[in-house]
Amino acid sequence: MTLKTRARSKFSRAFGNNFQDTLIIRLLYSRDIVALPSITKLVVSNIPDGVVLIKEIDDIVKVFQIANDEKIPVIPRLGGTSGFGGCLPYKKGVVIDLKGLKQEFLIDPGDLSVTVSSPYVFSDLQRSLNMQGFSLCSYPSSLYSGTIGGWFAQDGSGIGALKYGGSLDQVKEIEVVLPTGEIKNFSDEDKLSLFAGSQGTLGIITKLKLSVKFNTPLSYKACTYDSAKDLVVGLKSLNNLDIFSIWVMNPKQVALLNSTSDYALPERYLVIVSKEVNYKEEESEFYANFNQTIRENKGQILDDRYIKDIWKHRFRTFSLLKNTKTFLFGEAIIPIDKSDQYIKKIETFFNNQIQIEGTMISPEKLSLLYFVKEKDEISDIKTAMLFMKFYKIMKKVVKYKGHPYTTGLWFSGYYKHIYGNEQLLSYKAYKKSIDPKKICNPGKVISPRLKIFPLMKLKTALKLASEVIG
Amino acid sequence: MNSAHLLKVDILEIAQKCVYCGYCSVCPTFKELNWESNHPRGILEQVKMYFNEKYTKDVSKSLFDAIFSCTMCKACENICIVDLPLLQVWEQIRQEAFRRGRWSSDLLSIYDKVKATHNIFGLPHNDRLDWAELCGINLSRRIKRKAPVAFFIGCQASYSGKMAGIAESMVKILRKARVNFTVLGDEEWCCGAPIFLGGGYTVGTSLAKHNYEELKKLGVKKIVSTCAGCYRSFKIVYPKILGDDWDIEVVHASELIDELVDKKKIKLLNTIDEKITYKDPCELVRHCGLSEAPRSIIKKFPNVRYEELPSNREEALCCGGGGLLKINNPKLVSEVNTKLVSEIEYTEADIVVSCCPLCVDTIQQGVKEKKLGIKVLDLVELVKMSMEVKK
Repeated sequence: MTLKTRARSKFSRAFGNNFQDTLIIRLLYSRDIVALPSITKLVVSNIPDGVVLIKEIDDIVKVFQIANDEKIPVIPRLGGTSGFGGCLPYKKGVVIDLKGLKQEFLIDPGDLSVTVSSPYVFSDLQRSLNMQGFSLCSYPSSLYSGTIGGWFAQDGSGIGALKYGGSLDQVKEIEVVLPTGEIKNFSDEDKLSLFAGSQGTLGIITKLKLSVKFNTPLSYKACTYDSAKDLVVGLKSLNNLDIFSIWVMNPKQVALLNSTSDYALPERYLVIVSKEVNYKEEESEFYANFNQTIRENKGQILDDRYIKDIWKHRFRTFSLLKNTKTFLFGEAIIPIDKSDQYIKKIETFFNNQIQIEGTMISPEKLSLLYFVKEKDEISDIKTAMLFMKFYKIMKKVVKYKGHPYTTGLWFSGYYKHIYGNEQLLSYKAYKKSIDPKKICNPGKVISPRLKIFPLMKLKTALKLASEVIG
Repeated sequence: MNSAHLLKVDILEIAQKCVYCGYCSVCPTFKELNWESNHPRGILEQVKMYFNEKYTKDVSKSLFDAIFSCTMCKACENICIVDLPLLQVWEQIRQEAFRRGRWSSDLLSIYDKVKATHNIFGLPHNDRLDWAELCGINLSRRIKRKAPVAFFIGCQASYSGKMAGIAESMVKILRKARVNFTVLGDEEWCCGAPIFLGGGYTVGTSLAKHNYEELKKLGVKKIVSTCAGCYRSFKIVYPKILGDDWDIEVVHASELIDELVDKKKIKLLNTIDEKITYKDPCELVRHCGLSEAPRSIIKKFPNVRYEELPSNREEALCCGGGGLLKINNPKLVSEVNTKLVSEIEYTEADIVVSCCPLCVDTIQQGVKEKKLGIKVLDLVELVKMSMEVKK
């Protein structure tokens, strides 16, 4: 119990058993996909004071009432599947777990949209849509655990984004509980773009209306390239084929996939392409165009037998971490023109011992996920050093006109690089107007000041540390 | 013979290998309870804390509460992208809870009943075949008779009046097909399924040994079961605890019936007019990988109208009745079951069939609560309906 008695009794009275602050519960809510080395506790108070399991929207209103009165940070949490620290407390506070929020699902076939509550997991939503002949337009590779609300709060992207765009392109309207306790609906572009990627710092998104499409079958092809440079040429040439998704692996990742499965893929830069096809002739035309494009652009077409059922692996990247006790990953978005240079940079930086996977999220941008794994548990110090190494290489993405996938906690301060200065100013002004007490997910988006040395911001400290240690 | 301790895995080692991807959020009870402490990845986090002296005392209650809110449906292990043997971990935590005296009194009562009377109902051995009398079946020439095939009736079908139709149907099918079979009668002991799921391998092993010896005495080569729990015990657990001595072929009723139909030993004559859907029992499909035999039979009914549940085969939803949850938290069973019943409703089926008495019982409750006019039957009951000449 770390909350002051008055605040604690307010939460207990308001939520009964849906408020818990035992040590174990607090520890369980102190991490996301990345387990933090204990050394980070010097800069981040990631163990919350308590957790409220939200059952209905009014619960969020009540939480904000108490939090505003008592000046307690409120940290929203959904799937907890990101590694950017967006759902971690920075200076303690109360985590609100939205997974208990009543599930809503309302499809509008005329408008090709669906309205769902934010904790809806993608795989459940996809199944519900498929049952009615529809499908999500784009979705993250964490389909079985990622939530709609969490995806939008991170301005997520993913499979299908090449054709249909990322979360901001999909979401048409949101319902939000503002830190003031007001429940508001937003559908205008300006507000939607402020909330996308806001990491729950502007309020708690409770419901989203997003575009859906008819459930069209996909057809797959694959090819390989000898170098990262050829890969970029190849990726650009595929843009004219109205592709649904392009999925890329570096040779190291292909080798790992081969070693953990029955595949015998050539250990080069691998590209797996999927396209929506409505009928046989369309598929034949796609195959012909694909083959011609690849041949003309330094690629080698891969026989279909090599990639049998490989599409099933698109949600199973982490299956390659089998028998691994420690892993760290980074995810960055990079303009396609610069991606070969950045890929080479990462590979050289990690002595070619790094796994890289990529997804084209627009004709101009590639999202890169890269990770290292260790068979055994490594010490806190070593983990911290590795973390700094990742931070250092991620920081360099800016030089290539790219940016981290999202801000979260660890890349707070990079908002300007992702959205530009003008939007940063709009964000700050809006944040000030709706959250004057700065209780809504502090430490995210805008880099916070260090608790042990308040003159320095977290971003500066991490930059310095990554230069020294990384 | 191998001893039960060979089933043990290093649960801390496994917990450390969790990559925290969260895919195991498919867990049916987590979907209802929503707390991270009930998330399979959260349970593994608690395992790590349990082995850290700093937290052992604090975490034990939360860990044991969470583990007994599990239906052991294996959905978590099925989806785990790093292939962790989660079911074994859950069983071992339950065992640890037993050692620490943290089983609930209801659970202990079941344990004591099975230990003392060798059935989950605590009823006398002599009552095991009362169902036959109730159904007007004379089994006297089958009891403890030497035969190559044994029909293992199971506690549910033997003692629970509402499940008697399952045993009756299976006996009629076996007779019709002229299968030379025997039943163990009052020497049939609980297969041990509830005990194994509770982590009680010591008592479970004694049950397994008894059943094995009785079957061997009768020269049994093949054992057939209508119960998914019994089938799992014979198929998966017995070979592990009895080792190479366990040389009896194990078939589920659906596998045997499918074979008998193919060999024309029984004929499915009558049309089932109602639309049918099939619920895969977790213990058959995810534990044992059996999903096609029941479907094959259903598709052989003349002019059958059949529709799959939206979640089927390995992705089948759990009814909530497994893993001793009915004893530990009946309310949660009902909550979990609601999702399954909604899927059944979606198919607009008139009959939902399963191959597990526990599923049948749980779905029946759910259908009743929702006041739906859907019949819930075991597959063998449906086969009997189609097989019998209408008078």
